[in-house]
Amino acid sequence: MRGTLLLTRAEIMRLRRNRRYMITTLAFPVVLYLLIAKSAKATVYGVDFAAYYMVAMATLGSFSAALTGNAIRIAQERKDGWVRQLRLTPLPANGYVVAKIIAAMAISVPSVVIVLLLGRFYGGVHLAIGAWITIAVVVWLGAMTFAALAIAIGYRLQPDQVQPIALLIYFVFLIIGGIFFPLKGALQSVGKFTPTYEAVKIATDVAGGASVPGNLIAGLVIWLAIFSGLAWLSVRATAETV
Amino acid sequence: MSHSGTGPVVSFENVSKHYGSLKAVDGLSLDLRSGETVALLGPNGAGKSTSLDMLLALRKPTSGKIEMFGSDPYHAVKSGRVGAMLQSGGLMPEVTVLELVTLVTGLQPRPVPVATTLRRAGIESIADQRVDRLSGGQTQRVRFALAITGECDLIVLDEPTTAMDVETRQRFWASMKEEVAEGKTLLFATHYLEEADQAADRILVINRGRLLADGTPAEIKARAGAKQMSFRLPGANEPFLLGLPGVTSIDVRGDVVHIQTSDSDATLYALLDAGYRPHELEVGGLGLEQAFLTITAEDDRAGDTAGAPQEARQP
Repeated sequence: MRGTLLLTRAEIMRLRRNRRYMITTLAFPVVLYLLIAKSAKATVYGVDFAAYYMVAMATLGSFSAALTGNAIRIAQERKDGWVRQLRLTPLPANGYVVAKIIAAMAISVPSVVIVLLLGRFYGGVHLAIGAWITIAVVVWLGAMTFAALAIAIGYRLQPDQVQPIALLIYFVFLIIGGIFFPLKGALQSVGKFTPTYEAVKIATDVAGGASVPGNLIAGLVIWLAIFSGLAWLSVRATAETV
Repeated sequence: MSHSGTGPVVSFENVSKHYGSLKAVDGLSLDLRSGETVALLGPNGAGKSTSLDMLLALRKPTSGKIEMFGSDPYHAVKSGRVGAMLQSGGLMPEVTVLELVTLVTGLQPRPVPVATTLRRAGIESIADQRVDRLSGGQTQRVRFALAITGECDLIVLDEPTTAMDVETRQRFWASMKEEVAEGKTLLFATHYLEEADQAADRILVINRGRLLADGTPAEIKARAGAKQMSFRLPGANEPFLLGLPGVTSIDVRGDVVHIQTSDSDATLYALLDAGYRPHELEVGGLGLEQAFLTITAEDDRAGDTAGAPQEARQP
């Protein structure tokens, strides 16, 4: 346990030093929010556009942190032999995967917090304290799905395959999940099954004071189970090739 | 020394690893005893790396049993009793050497002070450099440092001095001797035969996944045919020379004859008794490298002969 925590701390330190990673997880949602939050005066998913876009950008930040950087780094570290080296130490067998997930979740906290603060003080979103906390937790925990997906991809694919495949999955889920623009009609009938949509919709329902449908929460849990299962299979299948 | 009991540190019992029809390791049995420095010698593809991978719980044997300190390899590794450095091992990028060594030291149940590890591995001067900006030799030293971050009982090294220059290699073996002097058992694979000759007190020769020879460097040399004779003999008759007592192999180039023999006296007397008068006669001991080549070449020939009827059966 102590070893896993030490590795987690080192992983967080590395991520903080990685400028590109910090830009995609932190700067990207912040800049998009500043540019777009006040560009529309509409009601989306039952809340003001500024509130919807705040939730969408916080989701973008946390889901990006969980997937894009991690999948590529895991594939690269497997190829370079660092994962193999760690297996020769007393670190528990699952220590590396656990450290990667916790580090990705930890590094996504600032982007969620900063976007929500922007929503409050730039976007003029007013909510009760309980709603703020619930939204932050939903958007943040929802990213667990992508953290598990990153393990599944990173363990299964070569580094040069990970980049295009992770980006493809990422953008498909962002676009049909209604992160860049709200979903309507046919797109919504498909997109409503994505974890990105489910996280955003749960959070906007909380913001709008509506009761959260149980099927949205169940949907996120099912995605987490599917991606965790895939991750487990990937780690197991590659046990002899790291 | 916290090795409990008097059993072997490592034991392989009829261990095999097959990849489809390829037998990377084929019925390997061996024991390592506490405090030994053992060199694992073998040509590329002999099964050295696969054997070390299985010993370190990175791969599972297809059949057979491996024990380390009386438990299975996985638990021995996770209890911190083994320090290992593999060729395929890598380093974590984006951190400094000091940060990396400190991290891995923190994973050990019985950590060695970081300063001691840095000194033993000779990496004090690069402690503040980024791991991903090191030269090949520096990287190798950092990988070695990671192997000695804990107070382990067994050190396993795969080709440890690859990419090191001569001076670094000498410093490396000096620090290795410090470790062994504390009573640790050392197992290393190498293709530098002089290194095995100088550092090891026991050599295991493996070829095609099987153990071919196991003994002190002197015994290995003796086994291959202890002596090398060379002389000039115009019109030498090869079949006759091969039939001389003790001869294991001959090489005739023009008038010059090289003979490997297990009994140079008997070979020489028989040659003289037959009426030959060789000139420029030299008799010398066989180096480990020649012994190694002789042993593995004999095995390859035996393997080819054994394989011949199978090939003949194919349409």
